[in-house]
Amino acid sequence: MKNQKTLTIGWLYPELMNIYGDRGNIITLKKRCEWRKIKAEVMELNVGFSIEKLKKCDILVMGGAQDQQQNIVNKDLQRIKKELAKMIDNGTPGLYVCGGFQFLGKYYKDSDGTIINGLGIFDLYTENPGKDSLRLIGNLIIKPSINLGTNTIVGFENHGGRTHIGAELLPLGEVISGNGNNEDDNTEGAIYKNSFGTYMHGPILPKNPELADYLIQLALKNKYKDSALTPLDNSLEKKARRSVEEKKKL
Amino acid sequence: MNTASIFFGKSVMLFSQIFNLGSGSTWPGHIALKLNKNFISDILKNTNAKIIIICGTNGKTTTGRLTTSIIRENNKTYLQNKAGANLVNGFASTLIRGSNLLGSVNKDYIIFESDENALSKVLLEVKPDYLICLNLFRDQLDRYGEVDSVAKKWQEAIKNLTDKTKLILNADDPQIAYLSNFTKNKSYFFGLEKTKETSTIKHGADTTHCPKCFEKLNFSTVFYSHLGIWNCPKCGLKRPTPDIEKFEYYPLPGTYNKYNTLAAALFAKVEDINNSKVKKAYECFTPAFGRGEKINYKNKTIQVFLSKNPTSFNESLSTVNELNGNNVLLVLNDRIPDGLDVSWIWDIDVENLINKEWNVCVAGDRVYDMGLRMKYADIFSHVEPDLEKAINNMTDSIDKDDTLYILSNYSAMLEVRRILTGKKIL
Repeated sequence: MKNQKTLTIGWLYPELMNIYGDRGNIITLKKRCEWRKIKAEVMELNVGFSIEKLKKCDILVMGGAQDQQQNIVNKDLQRIKKELAKMIDNGTPGLYVCGGFQFLGKYYKDSDGTIINGLGIFDLYTENPGKDSLRLIGNLIIKPSINLGTNTIVGFENHGGRTHIGAELLPLGEVISGNGNNEDDNTEGAIYKNSFGTYMHGPILPKNPELADYLIQLALKNKYKDSALTPLDNSLEKKARRSVEEKKKL
Repeated sequence: MNTASIFFGKSVMLFSQIFNLGSGSTWPGHIALKLNKNFISDILKNTNAKIIIICGTNGKTTTGRLTTSIIRENNKTYLQNKAGANLVNGFASTLIRGSNLLGSVNKDYIIFESDENALSKVLLEVKPDYLICLNLFRDQLDRYGEVDSVAKKWQEAIKNLTDKTKLILNADDPQIAYLSNFTKNKSYFFGLEKTKETSTIKHGADTTHCPKCFEKLNFSTVFYSHLGIWNCPKCGLKRPTPDIEKFEYYPLPGTYNKYNTLAAALFAKVEDINNSKVKKAYECFTPAFGRGEKINYKNKTIQVFLSKNPTSFNESLSTVNELNGNNVLLVLNDRIPDGLDVSWIWDIDVENLINKEWNVCVAGDRVYDMGLRMKYADIFSHVEPDLEKAINNMTDSIDKDDTLYILSNYSAMLEVRRILTGKKIL
């Protein structure tokens, strides 16, 4: 097809950061492009990938992992830190879930007190209050901070670390039900430039297609200066979201 | 003291059965342990029964049933825990059910399926003759936690075994095979024979890195998920040579059931049970409820496969493919025994395992989530929130000689079975 638009979706560490079904975010972005005749290429960025590959990406997505796997990823991230920070600052849209979200902050303090330095791109830090503290687990419902055309975003959280975001950083949303970043301040996730951090698995994008489309639009705008998107039928997506809200009697 | 516990426990059991308060399978044990925290070890002191503990993410029930079928064929007796009673209190309840009022169990074997997270506690109370470890996959991450953390708990628990325990381990699962490094006890291994299977690890595999040094593992053969012929290029850890890698008869379809078949057959081999008895037991084997069980409903054949995590779902779908099936009903619930998080359905390899031509219906508490999973794989599915309607519509839609395959997670499987048989089992 002539003049077909193409987006490259960079999937950071699919071999290691893949255990919570977050692959669904990649599938959703890809399908929602393809259904609109936008070509979507998924670039898998595993340990040791070249910086040239990273630079080709129009959207970045990163999921969560087990501790040992996160240590391996953290080491590799130091290598590409500068370039990733530059892309995020220049407005490359991205979705960073759970472990991926924590990495973007200043540091992560483990349950045994070990401090793991983050990338320091987002003004936030995460601390695990210790082995005896409960993980924050359950369905999570928030009111998004920006206008996405939906009043709620739903997902499932499962994390031990508590994240505190700086005063200047906009949360992804305000917690309606569940915990979010921590038990105290009713914030969930963070938005910095065109990058979104969140604790929401579920995965987040299939049941919140407005956010998926928003990421696609940001990428189209960067690349083609034209963010027009053909509308899609979201009725099944909305029913799935509604069923989570109903669980929480909302 | 124990006579009182047993008498009291048996009364509770009877009471809850008469008044239909659930299966009554864990309360008596719970109470007995309250009355005497050493209840289990006290009772076991008075018995000569050999104890077999089976654990692993997938295949416990089937392996248990294969094992008991062999024991029966060998003319020996056994006591086994009931479905769902797989924590320490379930073990105590099993003992109450199977012991006389003097507190002794007059059986040849006691077989206990242990919950993954309960294994450490169970092994503190019970010193088994056999510990059979099948596999470790991601399962209900909101309840069990991640695979590595479960594996670490097992490694610790195994250090507490006494000399008498023989381990029967899956050579093809790196985390399970590695368990043998944590004990001086004799380990026996089962694994599959090398065929022309693929050597690529697919999405959803869990143990892709060395359990010892965390280097990325090499796989020369992958049977499914991360089960295969593996070695670590860095520290040299490698798949142990199996003591058994094939059997002349497999009673159930699916690669995953080959492992269950071999695990039970290896137990028999170590226990010196004649091979012909094992074969005979397997030839008249019928599957456990919901584990490949065939049910006749409205004169049609329905086959139910418990599919509770990405690996078991993938393996069930592969089996439907093997059986040339093309009518599937996928039922997804999110109740306590299933795990509340349904994110894992996005780790199922729907794109490669469901043919677009199939007749697909989705149902369950999270019907719309499963519907979305199909939609994003470009598979058309009937989305039916009412399970009974879904079953009836699908049954009516298939030809007389066709089979309807129902894949469902735990609580959904119980519901499906209740609808199909008109009986409640748990």
